[in-house]
Amino acid sequence: MAVKFTNDVTLSKSGFLFDHASGQTYTLNPTGQFIFRLLEQGEESERVLPQIVAEFNVSESTARKDLDDFLRQLHELGITE
Amino acid sequence: MEKKPYMKPTIVRHTPGGVLNKFGRPPQTVPMRRIEGFDVSELAGEYGSPLFVLSVRELKRKYRELDRTFRTRYPDFQLAYSYKTNYLKSVCSILHQEGAWAEVVSGFEYDIAADLGVPGGRIIFNGPYKTRGELKRAFENGSIVNIDNYDEMQVIEDLAEEFGRTLDVGLRINMDLNDPPWHKFGFNYESGQAFEAVRRATSGGKLNVVGLHMHTGTYVDDLTIYSRGAQGMIDFYRLIRDNFGVRLKYWDLGGGFASMNTLHWAYLPAEQTTPTVDQYADAICSVLLAADLGGEEPPKLFIEPGRAIVDDPFYLITSVAAQKRLPNGRRAVVLDTGMNMISSVQWYRYQFQSAQDSGTTVEDTTVYGALCMNIDVINHSLSLPPVRRGELLVIPRVGAYNLSQSWQFIYLRPAVIAIDDGRVHVIKRAETREYVQQFEQVPEDYSLPREPADGAAS
Ligand SMILES: Cc1ncc(COP(=O)(O)O)c(C=O)c1O
Repeated sequence: MAVKFTNDVTLSKSGFLFDHASGQTYTLNPTGQFIFRLLEQGEESERVLPQIVAEFNVSESTARKDLDDFLRQLHELGITE
Repeated sequence: MEKKPYMKPTIVRHTPGGVLNKFGRPPQTVPMRRIEGFDVSELAGEYGSPLFVLSVRELKRKYRELDRTFRTRYPDFQLAYSYKTNYLKSVCSILHQEGAWAEVVSGFEYDIAADLGVPGGRIIFNGPYKTRGELKRAFENGSIVNIDNYDEMQVIEDLAEEFGRTLDVGLRINMDLNDPPWHKFGFNYESGQAFEAVRRATSGGKLNVVGLHMHTGTYVDDLTIYSRGAQGMIDFYRLIRDNFGVRLKYWDLGGGFASMNTLHWAYLPAEQTTPTVDQYADAICSVLLAADLGGEEPPKLFIEPGRAIVDDPFYLITSVAAQKRLPNGRRAVVLDTGMNMISSVQWYRYQFQSAQDSGTTVEDTTVYGALCMNIDVINHSLSLPPVRRGELLVIPRVGAYNLSQSWQFIYLRPAVIAIDDGRVHVIKRAETREYVQQFEQVPEDYSLPREPADGAAS
């Protein structure tokens, strides 16, 4: 299922995220940016995990736990629905 | 194709002040990978985590700075290290090698000093509870004894009788200097109790009052407490000299100097509020040396710092046991050690760093200790990069009161190592369960059968 964004957001090349509706800003680290770009492109959240494992030097179990954590955080911060 | 190095994905919300905290400093992202050239992860690998680490060089530097600064201002000066702050034998011994005398407050501490080889004449015995036997031994060894209360004075007068000679004693006094004032120790100056105590001590003919002692608090960063205290000491001395013919050999202004840790309720960090050693020395010495004692040489000056010497040279290496999200979205980290090992978290807002290069993105984090108790929080708000189970953190400045006040609870207490000039010495091994339970025994009546009964677990 594709993740829905709550507001209009822009992620800069340096990992700076701007929420146009609230004016709130965030910083994402490179892995966070990688995931965010996929979600932004409408990638289904289940399809993100294999791409992380393909791109980064990480085990699937660690990546899964971290991805869940990250997705939950996006939701808790009100960035995704 | 080579895969990219992985970091746990993070998103950090900027607080209204941007990523700067209220002091305008960037959050701490610089990892602390080494302590005096030693790799933190190698130390933990070899000696375990958690692990206390003493930098001997820093310890000596602290001592020497205090000693030199006071001695250049006040020639007849002697530092007596406050044992209670940290009485690991190696710590005390190093400080004695550097020239410190011992300031002890119990028979237990007195024995540590004596066993290390500190001559009796270089031990100052304070504390509100000293047994008759301990007092006797102290006088026999020629130690300095400062009297806390009338009951103790009575015991010492009895000892004088027993010895058949007058005994030199000091009196502990207190003054209304802080808010709330420290009235626990000794006799109060303003109310006239201290004056009465000297009258009582000198009138019995068995005691010779040769010293005054005053310890006004701990983590005292208000310099006027020392300058007003020193002035009060002078005024009081003049009073008892004129009235009772007392001639002081020493005055002792106790300890209390602050360290570089920041208190929870402080608005500014300690770097901006803790006076320098020069400032403490000026506050005390300039007042004492300006005293008009009618041509008499000023008495010897003792100070008894603890915290200001041993807090900063100790580090605690600890590792991350777990990471979690709190219902409000905050990140929390659980450590492999708790407030039983660093009880000063009650006073200090410990700042600490990751020992790994975990990236520069930091997040405001609640740091929990390992105890299964809700109050065990090491830091309510620490900027930490993403960390994972097993990753190491370093908490600096943990040397004062933590080790001597640590309590064994749920876990065994860790080892303490000293780093000295490229070498590592274990100065205290990690506890074992056998050590902790060595004095326990289970009476036969309460013993469980060793062999399972026939058909066990059926
Ligand atoms: C009599 C006496 N001297 C010295 C000290 C050392 O104090 P600090 O560690 O604050 O220097 C104490 C501490 O309580 C004390 O009671």
